Amino acid sequence: VRFTYIFSFLQRMAPSLTSTVNYTDPTLEPVVTEHSPERQKIIDSQFKCYERMNRDPPYRKKGLFCNRTWDGWLCWDDTPAGSFTDQNCPDYFPDFDPTERASKYCDETGNWFRHPESNRTWSNYTLCNSFTSEKLKTALILYYMAIVGHALSITSLLISLGIFFYFKDIFSLLWVLSLSCQRITLHKNLFVSYVLNSVFTIAHLITVVPNPGLVKRDPVSCKVLQFFHQYMLGCNYFWMLCEGIYLHTLIVVAVFAEEQRLHWYYLLGWGFPLVPASIHAVARAKYFNDNCWMSVDTHLLYIVHGPVMAALLVNFFFLLNIVRVLVTKLRDTHRAESNMYMKAVRATLILVPLLGIQFVIIPWRPENRLAGEIYDYIMHILMHYQGLLVATIFCFFNGEVQGALKRQWMQYKTQWGQRRREHCSTRSTSYTATSISEVPVYLNHHDSTNEQLNGKYIDDSELIALKSGETSA
Amino acid sequence: MTALNSSSFLTNAFFFSSSYGELINCTSLIAEKLACYWPNQLVDEFFIAIHKHYFKNCSISGRSLRDPPNNILYPFLVVPILITLLMTALVVWRSKRSEGIV
Repeated sequence: VRFTYIFSFLQRMAPSLTSTVNYTDPTLEPVVTEHSPERQKIIDSQFKCYERMNRDPPYRKKGLFCNRTWDGWLCWDDTPAGSFTDQNCPDYFPDFDPTERASKYCDETGNWFRHPESNRTWSNYTLCNSFTSEKLKTALILYYMAIVGHALSITSLLISLGIFFYFKDIFSLLWVLSLSCQRITLHKNLFVSYVLNSVFTIAHLITVVPNPGLVKRDPVSCKVLQFFHQYMLGCNYFWMLCEGIYLHTLIVVAVFAEEQRLHWYYLLGWGFPLVPASIHAVARAKYFNDNCWMSVDTHLLYIVHGPVMAALLVNFFFLLNIVRVLVTKLRDTHRAESNMYMKAVRATLILVPLLGIQFVIIPWRPENRLAGEIYDYIMHILMHYQGLLVATIFCFFNGEVQGALKRQWMQYKTQWGQRRREHCSTRSTSYTATSISEVPVYLNHHDSTNEQLNGKYIDDSELIALKSGETSA
Repeated sequence: MTALNSSSFLTNAFFFSSSYGELINCTSLIAEKLACYWPNQLVDEFFIAIHKHYFKNCSISGRSLRDPPNNILYPFLVVPILITLLMTALVVWRSKRSEGIV
């Protein structure tokens, strides 16, 4: 995703923080010393410039103009007299920011502006490195934010996985749609893919981004890492799509039936993302084989991001369809089920737009410096804290999980209380008697909790569903 | 310099041997000796003449990395999206069918 331009900015800053040439000095020619890595880039640019100057058609408009020229760093086209022209700063030096603008003035007589002190033609590169130290600070903050976000995501996701595995017997006793057996399986796979995605991202951020020496050496391992990174990104979004398809099949296509075969979901979630990732690897190796495949300036990245956006769109339409069905068809006849399904769908409905919004607003970074910074922070939070968000919404904020955790806590508390009483007296039989009586109490307690969760009342059909769920799950 | 035929291989070879870089050095040294700043309009004209003569059929962007031409890029972009939509439709259809069986 294009957030990596911030990390490529950090990459370029890693070797040194000062420019090798003091460009503001009007007398210094912008010719760099031999054997510097920037020199080849500058020579390439010069070649391109003279090719363009050779092949572009001559100036056709009326009036005086300044001739096209190469100023040593950038190529300037024919410009009308008395006007400024500007273009993006070059990226030859670590502290030049390619998003800033360099400008050049063509005066009224049709000659390029000469600096008054040296009387030579001079282009204005002052904006290119004037804000670099602040930008470096922001880039570092965002970098550490990303690492913390992924670490938090991994932690919360592992806790959620633990909850799902530990409590699976309790959940399977009752058929509650928001946490049915199969839905839990899908959640588990989704969480695992998020964990792996965060692991690969942290590996990339820690080993490749701050390490320009590694990028220069360009070993195969860093390209393999990038391949798996793209694969895991695909897995994330395709598992979200699987969740959407499951809910859609359950609610819209065949209402109330639960048993679907999950083989196809596994295929779509784990197997299919290999396809875009492999196509991207092949295309990148053949046509845009830069070091470690770090560059984000290529449209070949859309080989992976295109299917991801398609999956998000499809998911969004499925969810809208589900909401439509719930609101129109079930509202009048089956109010309780409709409410129940609404609550189940609510979590997915919140998550899909949140996950997708980063792709929608990414092209519209504001021009204003402050607004741009705020935009960067918001985008980074949306992108790197996704795992935490998914774990919270699907697991920690889920009513059934909270109920189960509360009951477990009550059980522990009473067991501790019992054990303390045991130390004082030697009657162990009372302990087992109490623990047996716990079980029916616990089941009844859950039923009443269910009533509260559903808000109002339990229909007859829901009770039937509950009973049949006990036998099937 | 012998006349170079066009082909990106030869353009690459020219760069690799850094003749182009040495030519740049040469012009800047001469400019220094003549107490002129570098680059300047004469240098521009000199290099344009070189390009016109020696690099007639070379690619305009030299050796730098760029995206493949559109007729190759668009299939690479469109095919994965189509496969994705097909696969999604397949999964939806298969999960519908297994509902019918149960």
